[in-house]
Amino acid sequence: MSRPRQPLRILIADDHAILRAGLRALLNPYPHYQVVGEAETARQTLEQVQKLQPDILLLDLNLPDVHGLEILGQIRHLSPKTRILVLTMYTDPAYLQQALKAGAVGYIPKHAADTELLTALQAVVRGEVYIHSSMTRGLLENLLPQQPDAESSQDAWEQLSPREQEVLRLVAMGYTSGEIARRLHLSPKTVDTYRSRGMEKLGLRTRAALVRFALRKGLLRLEE
Amino acid sequence: MCVLERLSPLRRFWDRFWRYAGGVSVRMKIFGIVLGSALLLSAAFIYQARQTFYRLMESELRQLGLSIARDVAARSTDLLLINDLYAVHTLLRDTRNSFPDVRYIFIISPEGEVLVHTFGPEGFPKGLRTSHPLPPGRTSDVTVLRTNEGWVWDVVVPVFEGRLGEVHVGISDVRLQETLRLLTWQMGVALAAVLAIGMLVSSLLTWVLSRPIRLLSEATQAVARGNLDVYVQPWAEDELGALARAFNHMVQELRRMDELRREREMLRRQLLERVIQAQEDERRAISRELHDSTSQALSSLLMGLRTLMDSCDRASVKQRAQYLHQVTTHILEEVHRLAARLRPMLLDDLGLEAALSRYIREWQQHTGLMVDAVIHLGERRLPPAVETALYRIVQEALTNVARHARGATQVSLVLERRKEEISLIVEDDGSGFDAQSVDYTRHLGLLGMRERAELLGGSFTLESTPGRGTTIFVRIPLGEEKNHVASQTTLAHPHRG
Repeated sequence: MSRPRQPLRILIADDHAILRAGLRALLNPYPHYQVVGEAETARQTLEQVQKLQPDILLLDLNLPDVHGLEILGQIRHLSPKTRILVLTMYTDPAYLQQALKAGAVGYIPKHAADTELLTALQAVVRGEVYIHSSMTRGLLENLLPQQPDAESSQDAWEQLSPREQEVLRLVAMGYTSGEIARRLHLSPKTVDTYRSRGMEKLGLRTRAALVRFALRKGLLRLEE
Repeated sequence: MCVLERLSPLRRFWDRFWRYAGGVSVRMKIFGIVLGSALLLSAAFIYQARQTFYRLMESELRQLGLSIARDVAARSTDLLLINDLYAVHTLLRDTRNSFPDVRYIFIISPEGEVLVHTFGPEGFPKGLRTSHPLPPGRTSDVTVLRTNEGWVWDVVVPVFEGRLGEVHVGISDVRLQETLRLLTWQMGVALAAVLAIGMLVSSLLTWVLSRPIRLLSEATQAVARGNLDVYVQPWAEDELGALARAFNHMVQELRRMDELRREREMLRRQLLERVIQAQEDERRAISRELHDSTSQALSSLLMGLRTLMDSCDRASVKQRAQYLHQVTTHILEEVHRLAARLRPMLLDDLGLEAALSRYIREWQQHTGLMVDAVIHLGERRLPPAVETALYRIVQEALTNVARHARGATQVSLVLERRKEEISLIVEDDGSGFDAQSVDYTRHLGLLGMRERAELLGGSFTLESTPGRGTTIFVRIPLGEEKNHVASQTTLAHPHRG
């Protein structure tokens, strides 16, 4: 492992002085990490990034003026070489995804900063992407399809009776059983029967699965 | 029983009559009554007039017959005494020609022989001679003969006390009948004309009379449809006018009540909206506070403890710091969870879809049930009020599923943006209940969902059948968001000031 001769120049962007002090204290024992500046707001952060052109930016997403996610693109534009390590209270994978999309290369929840910060810095310096282990699961869960539907073929739909097709189409469109019953001049009970029979024939178990099926088949179109 | 049976045909007739008569409009009923009575009256009048006229004319003709017969008897006495039958014949013929009603005159001798008659070449009718002898002791007699030319009043008078025979004068009713026919016809025409005018007038009257009723009926229907801006012009100072005035008064009262009700409802909504808004604001503030200050401070504390652990050589201090580090980590997690439960930052920062995904993920871990979710909201963010409402509704719905839907294995969530509305459906396959019997005042969770949807101009529908699961449908229009934001800002104002 080759150590860089020049110390890595780090900018800390966080609106809490006490936390910035904590981070400084954490990094203090390591001479090859040099904290060159601090910023409290998004505006300050942008100014400092432009002025200092730091190697690494420790960025809190929760800044008082503008949300951290919204300035990621600008930071990359102002200083392309700066690697952005997000250090935040947000532990939801949605933030993680947004941050990665916008160009962050690391993501650590603050509660893990004390143990993980150095490891993350090392990884980022090597050019890797670092994501805290507690968050990878959520990321993967979001990537994997939640519940694969049974593959219902074209034929299965064609084999339904016209009434079943009509009822299922209206169910997928989000009409209540009462509304469907009034529309087709049936009793709500009959509507339910058509619906469960049709769904069974298609091998669909839930309303959501039916909606996905309908979308795939083009039985309903979404706006936008 | 017997009486009833005897009444039944009458009853049937009445029923049949009423089926037709009862079906026509009041206008037609009044019209029919007027027309019917006028016709009846005319018929009775014509009949009565004919009878009277006929009786009058008949007695006139009798008198005429008698005077002619007496006159002929007197004037022919001398001529018969000298047996001048020619002069008698001339007398008879002249007399007959002077009176068009006289059909014939003849004189019979005491022996029963026809002496003179006025019949022409057709000859003296058979049977006429003996058909009407003068009853003994009478000086005149009239009888009605039925002939092939109609009724004839045969008047018989003795000549020279019967010693020279009898004079018979036949008065025919042909002219009388003709006059009668003419009279009847004229009366008929006159009555028909009067009737026609009467019908015209009565139809006009019935139209005028039924118009206020029709107007009132139309107005009533309009009120039933919810239009309270109707006014019925009072027609006259009669009962219908009074009815119209009473109706107008009623509509006015209804309008006043409706306005009052609307006003109350609006106030209630505003209050509710304000309460909900205040609650959300409060939660957001506390959540942010916990998230920002408290969590940040705790994170700093963690870092400080770490520095302490790294820099201190004494084992006991290190151990103590380690313990404190653990406790702090635990507190931090708790604070985090609390903040998310109050109001997830995600909802404000990244929107409904992200917030719901996280909520659903945690709910699944917590309950062990799977939620099959389809969420299509598009790229554009929804209005904040709509996002908050939908998040809270989903929260409540899933909480209900966890709490009440025994035996549920599948939960579906479909959240879609449509052209002008957002549609949310949450469905479970649990035990279900009778949706008809839900008392919203006792199920505050359901009431809350409905209120939140309705505050945004949306709808909330619950469908559930015992044994077949429960589904809630929420629709929130997107067109009304401007309105809503406006009302919110005005509401938020005193809050800030």
